[in-house]
Amino acid sequence: MNALLVLSIAGLAALFSGFSHNKKLAVIVSLLGLAVAFTVNVLDWNTAVRYYNDMIFVDNYAIAFTGVMALTMLLIVALFVDYKESVEVPNAEIFALLFFSLAGGVMLVSYSNLLMLFLGIEILSIPLYILAGSKRHTLTSNEAAIKYFLLGAFASAFLLFGIVLIYGVTASFHIETIAAYIKNANGQPPALLVAGMFMLIGGLGFKISAAPFHFWTPDVYQGSPTIVTTFMSTVVKTAGIAAFYRLFAYAFPAITAEWIPTISVLAALTMTVGNVTAVFQSSVKRMLAYSGIAHAGYLLIAFVSISSNPASSVLYYLIAYAVSTVCAFAVLMVIQHTTGSEEVDGFKGLSKRSPFLAFITTVAFISLAGIPPTAGFFAKFYLFSGAVKAGHLWLTIIAVLNSCIAIYYYFRVITAVYSEGTDSTPVELGTVQKAVMIITAVLAVALGLFPEMIISLL
Amino acid sequence: MINAAWLIPLLPLVGFLINALGKKWLSKNIVSVVACGSVLGSFVIAAGIFIGLLGGAGAQTLSLGELMNAGGFSVSLSLLIDPLSVLMTLIITGIGFFIHVYSVGYMSHDEGFARYFSYLNLFVFSMLMLVLGANYILMFVGWEGVGFCSYLLIGFWFGDNANNDAAKKAFVMNRIGDVGFLTGIFLIFITFGSIEYAQVFSSAAAMPAGLAVITTITLLLFIGATGKSAQIPLFTWLPDAMAGPTPVSALIHAATMVTAGIYMIVRSNILFTLAPITMEVITYVGVATALLGAFVAITQNDIKKVLAYSTVSQLGYMFVAVGVGAYSTGMFHLITHAFFKALLFLGAGSVIHAMSGEQDIRKMGGLKKDLPVTYLTFLAGVLAIVGLPPFSGFFSKDEILAKVFEHSTVLAVVMVITFMMTAFYIFRMFFLVFFGGFRGSEKQKSHLHESPAVMTAPLIVLAVLAVAGGFINVPETLFGHHALANFLEPVLRPSLAIIFSEEPSHATEYMLMAIAIAGTLVMFAVAYSRYLTKSHVPAASEKEQSFLYRLSSRKGYIDEFYDMIIRKPLDWISSVLNDVFDKNIFDRIVNSVGELVVVGSGVARLLQTGKLGFYLFIMVAGITAMLFFNFMF
Repeated sequence: MNALLVLSIAGLAALFSGFSHNKKLAVIVSLLGLAVAFTVNVLDWNTAVRYYNDMIFVDNYAIAFTGVMALTMLLIVALFVDYKESVEVPNAEIFALLFFSLAGGVMLVSYSNLLMLFLGIEILSIPLYILAGSKRHTLTSNEAAIKYFLLGAFASAFLLFGIVLIYGVTASFHIETIAAYIKNANGQPPALLVAGMFMLIGGLGFKISAAPFHFWTPDVYQGSPTIVTTFMSTVVKTAGIAAFYRLFAYAFPAITAEWIPTISVLAALTMTVGNVTAVFQSSVKRMLAYSGIAHAGYLLIAFVSISSNPASSVLYYLIAYAVSTVCAFAVLMVIQHTTGSEEVDGFKGLSKRSPFLAFITTVAFISLAGIPPTAGFFAKFYLFSGAVKAGHLWLTIIAVLNSCIAIYYYFRVITAVYSEGTDSTPVELGTVQKAVMIITAVLAVALGLFPEMIISLL
Repeated sequence: MINAAWLIPLLPLVGFLINALGKKWLSKNIVSVVACGSVLGSFVIAAGIFIGLLGGAGAQTLSLGELMNAGGFSVSLSLLIDPLSVLMTLIITGIGFFIHVYSVGYMSHDEGFARYFSYLNLFVFSMLMLVLGANYILMFVGWEGVGFCSYLLIGFWFGDNANNDAAKKAFVMNRIGDVGFLTGIFLIFITFGSIEYAQVFSSAAAMPAGLAVITTITLLLFIGATGKSAQIPLFTWLPDAMAGPTPVSALIHAATMVTAGIYMIVRSNILFTLAPITMEVITYVGVATALLGAFVAITQNDIKKVLAYSTVSQLGYMFVAVGVGAYSTGMFHLITHAFFKALLFLGAGSVIHAMSGEQDIRKMGGLKKDLPVTYLTFLAGVLAIVGLPPFSGFFSKDEILAKVFEHSTVLAVVMVITFMMTAFYIFRMFFLVFFGGFRGSEKQKSHLHESPAVMTAPLIVLAVLAVAGGFINVPETLFGHHALANFLEPVLRPSLAIIFSEEPSHATEYMLMAIAIAGTLVMFAVAYSRYLTKSHVPAASEKEQSFLYRLSSRKGYIDEFYDMIIRKPLDWISSVLNDVFDKNIFDRIVNSVGELVVVGSGVARLLQTGKLGFYLFIMVAGITAMLFFNFMF
């Protein structure tokens, strides 16, 4: 809860630091704000306090995911120090928008009232619409912003409609009251409530880019400045999944039979669409967008095995995914800057130009592909084994087959890195940039070696 | 001191890490100090523990934690400190230290200096784990570790493909043995419910002899031993392993690693004692290997090949000894052999060093003038291996002969013939190398020199050991007290309770000694007249040689035989499977799946039209479909 306050104040501080002539001030204020937010957040561990007439409930679940989002954003902001792509909005404003978006994210992981869910989604999204268009003179960036906004508004309508239907049946916005109502209905919930639930699935599915609500993702991810894309595919994804999971874990655990088949189909569809389409992409940025869709599909598996998969497996997966993705995007930014291209071919000859970058790229993509000993492997392992225990064998088989497909396109990048390139000029890296890469790569391996650190949290 | 035992394997491991990680930066001096110092440190600790054991300290298991624990299968990370393991440790670290020192001189001009020493330290670490581990899994870990290091060191000069082939051959042959060993361990676990020595041996001691399962276990373990210790049928890798640097041959392929099979059998002595059939198999395999090795060694012209086949043959001696239940005798010969064979290999290395890399004994001759220290120390090794009293080989060899004679007269006769062959090929090599006129090129002649002190000092130390090493186990016949056998008695106690053995009468022992010495002297005379008096030099061409000669010089055609019955059929099956099944069936299926995904990807990509209206339509259609399917069905 204090984290929410700190983030809001830090957002304002970052905004006003833009008046200073010192260009670095905004970065420093932001990093400081995030560090403080993370600390006060962690201090609340094991307290579980309800705030604002029980609008938000800061339990360990909320604290864990808030911590992940704050740290991820910290890494992303650090990347700004050496970021070279032209963003035509001052850094201070970007940071402020990121902070506000993150504040929305914090609401999304700690809400206990559906109104807060809706508010969270809006607060998370509106800054993103602006950020997506922050390359003002670039057509694709404008297109990304307007597409994201229009489709997002549409999805919000679904969400709101779902909330209203549920309120109509239960006369409550509170997720625990709704759960109690469903429990009293003895497994026969009114059809209107179920319809509302599906509307929510549609609205939230849009946010986590689950098929068939994913179409915005590749266009928006590709059009936005890469650093904003990094934020969208990590922090926003974490918030969306955590909100989605929280809803089903708190409100609808009593009627799993109603929604597990639908979510299973969505999971299978999402990972298949994501992986299969990624195969054809030549742009690494776009490929990562599809890979993000695929990972959302894997994460949906955690929902169908909600009884045997603790929330910590979702947490671990999201952390593993976030560090690998930040790492991959950090490399991509360097490639974009030095070659002017975001194509797979841009990675060719990287092992000659910078063995360090080549190694970092390998670790990042191996972790994304889910190969031991990286965190990506254990993340999948915990999810899949939970699904098998819950009896979802066929879904797991589809997921494993999809993982095979994924190896193909992730390794295309790795093979490019180690193949001959035309350019052999060494790549120069900024210190902070290098530090972020090292931290994320080390985390990708260390978390794989010691998964218990995270798994034992929730 | 015993509490510091964990340092024994740790020091070489640290040495390995330092030299492996710092191989680009560390100077040769630092590399040498780290490599030799770490092994010396282990030796000092081992010696301290040894003195404690002599003073009456009992065996002890030092638990360092748990290696793994999964579903009723647990492996402890613990070291067993008892007479047997300490004895092996002393050999490994003691001889290992001198070979490390020798290597500093031998490898001084090599580019891969640090790499060489890092491998060597890793080997010592693995070998120590093999002998110190308190369960079969740790032994297996060490077993694989030494095999891997052996592979790395045989192929140390990987620029030459022949060396890589030799390394691969050693690895594959060892893997075949390892399958047996590993299966044996599995069966031990199934039978005894544990792989810890303490549990296995105490349960086994209560079992009757001749159980089929024990026989199977021991046969499987013995298969492992034939791989590692180069016995028939898996011995062909050892002669090829001479492709590695000579000190490696001395350390790994003479003194330590190849004796791992013996150690394993002596360690598991109670299991083997309970399996008389296995014991018979071991005895006959040992005798056959000893004979075959000696037979092939007679005609080899490469100094290292002679010694390699000699090692195969001598390992055969040890197996014969353990096969007839004389475990302490096997260990005795293992120790004396480690002394004199390491000495002979290092001496050979010194000769090769002086000859600028020449290994063919036909091109040597008369080297005693130029290499006086090498000559004298080599002489000590020669006298020890042929078994003339009072050199070390005499005691261990004659003890084997006495034990075999008790078991079977026929086998004893074969052993005497083997001894005679051994004497012949050793003297042949010795005379050809050190006596007569020099037969090499002028360039080699001008370059002849004694090796530096860093190489001759280890030779001198090992020579002293080869001369005096036999006194650790002097039999009562010669007014000794079987000191080694008594020292090992606690390890062998369960077996000794079962094996009833009558000491042969003193008259018999004197007779056997006399026969062995007489045979050796006869062969000395034959070799003397042939290679010194008549100055015979083996011919370059083998065409005009007799069948027996060719059989020996072509190594019994064993490699060709294996090629014919194993490699060729396998190649054929493999090519058929490749052409028919792999290319036509599996590849097609796999490739079609891949193509399908790519085609699917091409189609799926087209859905991404970029048109907002279409996206919205799909979203609505999605929600509609969800509602439709959920409420209609």
